[in-house]
Amino acid sequence: MRSTLLIAWTVLIEAIRRREVYAIVVISTLLIGAVATTRFFELQGLGKFYREIALQIMTIATNLTVIIIASRQLPREFESRTIYPLLAKPVSRLSFMLGKLIGVMAAGTFCFLLFMLVFLAGCQYLKIFVSPPLFAQFLFLQILGLLVVATLSFMLSLMTNLDAAITLGSLFYLLSSIFLSALSYLYQFSDTAVKFILRVMVFSVPQMSLFDLSEKVVHQEVWPPVPAFVIGQLTAYSLAFSSLFFLVAFLLFRRRPL
Amino acid sequence: MNNSSAPLIEVRNLVVEYASRGGAMRAVNDVSFTVLPGECIGFIGPNGAGKSTTMKVLLGFMFPKSGSVKLFNREPGATEARRRLGYLPEVTLYYPFMKAKELLFLYGGLQGMTRTQLKVRIPKLLEEVGLAGRGDTLLKNFSKGMQQRVGIAQAIIADPELLILDELSSGLDPVGRHDLRDVMLELKKAGRTIFFSSHELSEVETLCDRVIMINKGRVVLESPVAELMKPLNLFEIDFEQDGQPQTRSVSGAEKFNATLAEIISSGGRVIGTRTATRSLEDYFIEIIRGHEGSGR
Repeated sequence: MRSTLLIAWTVLIEAIRRREVYAIVVISTLLIGAVATTRFFELQGLGKFYREIALQIMTIATNLTVIIIASRQLPREFESRTIYPLLAKPVSRLSFMLGKLIGVMAAGTFCFLLFMLVFLAGCQYLKIFVSPPLFAQFLFLQILGLLVVATLSFMLSLMTNLDAAITLGSLFYLLSSIFLSALSYLYQFSDTAVKFILRVMVFSVPQMSLFDLSEKVVHQEVWPPVPAFVIGQLTAYSLAFSSLFFLVAFLLFRRRPL
Repeated sequence: MNNSSAPLIEVRNLVVEYASRGGAMRAVNDVSFTVLPGECIGFIGPNGAGKSTTMKVLLGFMFPKSGSVKLFNREPGATEARRRLGYLPEVTLYYPFMKAKELLFLYGGLQGMTRTQLKVRIPKLLEEVGLAGRGDTLLKNFSKGMQQRVGIAQAIIADPELLILDELSSGLDPVGRHDLRDVMLELKKAGRTIFFSSHELSEVETLCDRVIMINKGRVVLESPVAELMKPLNLFEIDFEQDGQPQTRSVSGAEKFNATLAEIISSGGRVIGTRTATRSLEDYFIEIIRGHEGSGR
């Protein structure tokens, strides 16, 4: 366990010391700041507009950051050859990969926390109220979504190369909801056999929109917090896909010649 | 050296192949050798001979097509075996975002050392490898030679019984090589077993008990260094005859004495005599040239 945590610590240090996370936070902050200064709306309208845009920017930026960080973990270790001294120590390949995953998740959470500070500072400045239970659920589900994205990026980085993994991971994240909407649309006009295939496709692709409660936070006046059993089901849903992606990644890495 | 003990490294009929488009490419072909406790072995050969591949198999990074490899009488890659060894890979760019001290905390921690042990060990280790006072410097600011020194530090951090060092003095300047030689001699004196590859053949001559030469995936020479370095029965005499400096080579002690007497009696002035030896480089070039053109 200690080895796993030491490797995770390395990933977190990298995320904290490299400037790209801060660059993403600064650019996003500027965008959020621009929204916050918009005076087109009356107070209530501005609150909704701010919440919607800020949460969307934060969600997209964090997910893309995690895709980049997760995708580069293994290819960079190969490229700089640091994988050799690491795995020459008494560290199993499983511990190594788990450490990397925990580190990526810690880095993603760190990035998210930076955004939260910016977001809450904006709320404070604009005197916008955010429902604490709904917001906590939003954060929790975002982290579950990040886990799916991180494990998928790991898997892709072992199947392809760094650039392809980042591209495919980003496309998956940005386009999966469009893809799933298209499948739902086709479903209405399909016969039984095609409907079956479409259903299989829908279930085999993780639906990232399920982890996004930003719309509910925007319209918090009409949305109560999500029931606990739904959160439980979503947790299981995230863990199922994450475990599957991680397992495939591990199987690819387990006997790979270095 | 305790030759009666079981070997720390045992390689038997090792064959390793790389998959390539035109079919499998054999990188190591029927290689066998053992390394005993306390020995210092130089593993030499030209680029692409199969040295790094053999080392990677020893560490469990690559898998053999056939043959067997044992490290501490265990399968390569076994955690227990890795706990007892230190490894320096060929040309590694350590994490640029980390400080030297942090990197050593990481590797020491992975080797099972406690934080308290590392706080004592790291400053000493940095001094030993010539990086005293550089512990808080980010690795991105380190030169290639300094990176190699950090690499050596991470390999010896837990004072392992066995050291496997790939391209030991790669990137080091003459001072760095000299410092490294001292570190290696200290480790050797302390009874550590060292198995290393290097293109610096003078270093191999100085440090090693035995040398294993590999070419095109096959072992082409395995010999104690002392055996290779023993004086040849060949002498050279430098002398002056009629004001002209000259050198004469003779083989055998009797002929040497006779030639000396002849030079002196003919009015020559002997300046000096030498016993000829062959360097490891001479053997290396002769063997490798001899194998040129032969297939793998």
